[in-house]
Amino acid sequence: MKKLLITLLSITMASSILLAACSNDSSTPASNSTQTSAADTKGTENSSTTTATTELTAPIAASDLSKLPAQAQKRTDTIIVGLTDPSGAFTPYFQQSGYDGNVSSVLYASLVTVDDKGLPIPDLAEKWDISSDGLTYTFHLRKELKFSDGTPLTAEDVAFTWTLIHDKSYDGQSELLTTIAIKGGKAYKEGKAKSIEGIKIIDPQTIAVTIEKPNAKGLTILGSEILSKAYYGKDYTFGSLDYIKKLHATPVGTGPYKLEKFIPGQEVRFVANEFYYKGKPKTEHFIYKTTEGDTWQFIETGEQDYGSFQATQENIDKLKGLGFLNIIPYTANNYGYLQFNLEHPTLKDKKVRQALTYGLDRKTIYVDANQGAGQIANIPASPIAWSYTEEGINPYNYDPEKAKQLLDEAGWKEGADGIREKDGQKLKIHFIGSKSKATDIFIAVAKENYTAIGVQLEAEQFADFNAQIAKFESGDFDLVSFSTPILGDPSDGVISFVNGEVKGYDNPKVKELYEKGLATSDIEARKAVYKELYQIINDDAPYIFTSYRKLVVAYNGRIEGLSISPLRGLSASLPDWKLK
Amino acid sequence: MSTYLMRRLMYMILILLGASLLIFLLYAMMPGDFVTNNFKLPAERKAELREIYGLNKPVLERYMNWMNNAFHGNFGFSLSQQKPVLTLFNDYIWNSFLLAITSTFFTWLLAVVIGVVAAYKQYSWFDTMVMIFIFAAMSIPSFFIGLFLIKIMAVDLKWLPPGGMLVTGSNATGMEYIKEVVHHMFLPVVVMTLLGVGSLTRYFRSNMLDVIRQDFIRTARAKGMKERVVLYRHALRNAMLPAITLIGFELPGLFGGSLIIEKIFNWPGIGQLYMQSFTVRDYPLLMGFTMFIAILTVIGTLISDILYHVADPRVKL
Repeated sequence: MKKLLITLLSITMASSILLAACSNDSSTPASNSTQTSAADTKGTENSSTTTATTELTAPIAASDLSKLPAQAQKRTDTIIVGLTDPSGAFTPYFQQSGYDGNVSSVLYASLVTVDDKGLPIPDLAEKWDISSDGLTYTFHLRKELKFSDGTPLTAEDVAFTWTLIHDKSYDGQSELLTTIAIKGGKAYKEGKAKSIEGIKIIDPQTIAVTIEKPNAKGLTILGSEILSKAYYGKDYTFGSLDYIKKLHATPVGTGPYKLEKFIPGQEVRFVANEFYYKGKPKTEHFIYKTTEGDTWQFIETGEQDYGSFQATQENIDKLKGLGFLNIIPYTANNYGYLQFNLEHPTLKDKKVRQALTYGLDRKTIYVDANQGAGQIANIPASPIAWSYTEEGINPYNYDPEKAKQLLDEAGWKEGADGIREKDGQKLKIHFIGSKSKATDIFIAVAKENYTAIGVQLEAEQFADFNAQIAKFESGDFDLVSFSTPILGDPSDGVISFVNGEVKGYDNPKVKELYEKGLATSDIEARKAVYKELYQIINDDAPYIFTSYRKLVVAYNGRIEGLSISPLRGLSASLPDWKLK
Repeated sequence: MSTYLMRRLMYMILILLGASLLIFLLYAMMPGDFVTNNFKLPAERKAELREIYGLNKPVLERYMNWMNNAFHGNFGFSLSQQKPVLTLFNDYIWNSFLLAITSTFFTWLLAVVIGVVAAYKQYSWFDTMVMIFIFAAMSIPSFFIGLFLIKIMAVDLKWLPPGGMLVTGSNATGMEYIKEVVHHMFLPVVVMTLLGVGSLTRYFRSNMLDVIRQDFIRTARAKGMKERVVLYRHALRNAMLPAITLIGFELPGLFGGSLIIEKIFNWPGIGQLYMQSFTVRDYPLLMGFTMFIAILTVIGTLISDILYHVADPRVKL
């Protein structure tokens, strides 16, 4: 029996070592780079440019298509892309999950869409006029537009869509309600009016709408997807929208593809829409395959043609090694940040916030430990956005000496135990974040960084996002880690500084510039406003901006015509995809 | 018997009522609700949405509403999936059930055969090897063994599919369809069986060891019966008795889905759905599913008790 026990023990030990080896594999680069963090910032930057010779900036074409797995070789008229979890609610405006949004972006075209920089371009609307006061938008629809069931699309459908969103039982998240206000929308919602005063159908091809206040986002918000009145409106009575739920699974749209079949938890199958205004897409079938988490095994076996990965060196090397994939690098259009609790007196002091920014080695945490799949952020906009600028922006390079000096100036003097004190109070920072590998790395490095400048970091992690939000809302924290959703308009990236989300931060100049940024649709004028706004926020440091995520898209080398729009994902180029 | 059943049913209803209240309160006490984690929405809109969903009402009132609807057969509407909860169950539970029933069958089959042989040849070479293997299989985490098998069998050798339930885009019907599903469920069933077989084998082995030493076995052997008959007819039957109670307890597990296995093998089961609905606080779905499992558990214990009575008439109900 004793013998048996020993054999058992050795087996379990062996397997645990095996496991440890696996998990170590991915964290080694992290520990390596922590060692270099002691060196000054300049030095590490230099060394990284020399070591990271293979950093991906331009697309790479497949090196050897003969390696393509047989399964992918076999497909002639079908392209398969992975999508985490579409739920089946495919009607735009009525979906709760972003993944359903990915599906409806294939099924429905918009009046107005955006180009790679986020600037509006025509889609279903051929052109539009905006009145000089910025309040009235007139959309001119293309001629002979048809829904996927063959019925014509007219201004009636546009008016119906806008009206439907104003129903009092509407529970979706359309920005028509939250960001802009159509004139008379409120009266309709409260049941005081039979129709919305601000919407005027001029002729079947032309519709005008008046909003209460000028808003630069108005064009894209109003110019969203259009629902067929004949299909979605035939059972509509004011105050009851339950019937629409029955139509979620059988969408009638205007996009390049129509729904063929939805298999819950498995696939969304599409077939080319012959009524699409740009002509029938080049590939007959398109499939969104439900794949949770990692998609490596599906890419490697050819079950899936397209996958998105973190741009780590390891991932890129592995993708390149497969040989049959084209690889496109891109930067996500959002940003990560650490928010200060400005209601705490310690953090009200700008110098302390700046010191904590200088004193944090962001490069180690977000670039090196991430194997290059990140870029340091300093403003609330991604480098791919048209509003992005580095002019007059302080990069806050890692500089513990500068941090110490700022803390000294703020009156925080080093105490007996090396932790700074002021008025008998120790400089402690209570950090809250998610339970994830990235946060683990942050905590490990930040503790060391902050100890070096005499600040004590206490970290608390939450496995459940809602629990973290609850803690955040209770105000019991000093620093919290978040990232924004994908940002459409530059104003989305700064709204938290003016709408009270960053509690305790109140800068009238920021509010003024925020309003100014939305009051005009002129891009050059807006660029100037956002530049000034970013400079102020960068200096005020209500956030420590952390990083922009760098990703790569890898896809079957047989697909031609694929490009990535940072704002619209793959739906922008999807109609042009072709298997060679 | 019938009075016993009546009494049990009464208890069951009381237990379920209590459980439903408890579950509802626990879910309501969790931090955040369905509206909270949407950062984009301004506070006024959040308040409006809470009004529409009834989340702003007192918890007890919400509970009464839920119960009232449930008694009318309406288990509500999933907030995140925008579908009736029962439709969602129907979409996902059967996939989970398919995996669970197959792996349970093989687990029991293997456990009985191995347990009996291991007990009969106690401390033999076979017994030791089996025990080592079983402990190893039990102690390796499912995600590891699952990913390892995917890597070997699907990615490197390409013998089996890497996940999912069907070949993507497949239009197979009839026998072809069944073949495809069997092909896809092979790996997950192997992993689930490996994980489950260990404890059950130990259970049968020790039961067998108890029974084999008893006098009636010796009597059977003394009568000159064949060893196989002694083992499988006399010993196994008696050794199985305590295991019968386990069958009832398996019931909720058959429908509950397995989060980790489903995630690794990309299986469209209820376990994944439940976890997603938990992260977004989709109360109707959470509540519906948890109550469903509670009901199955209560029924499972009842079945266990009745089966025990059937198997061993000495047990009075």
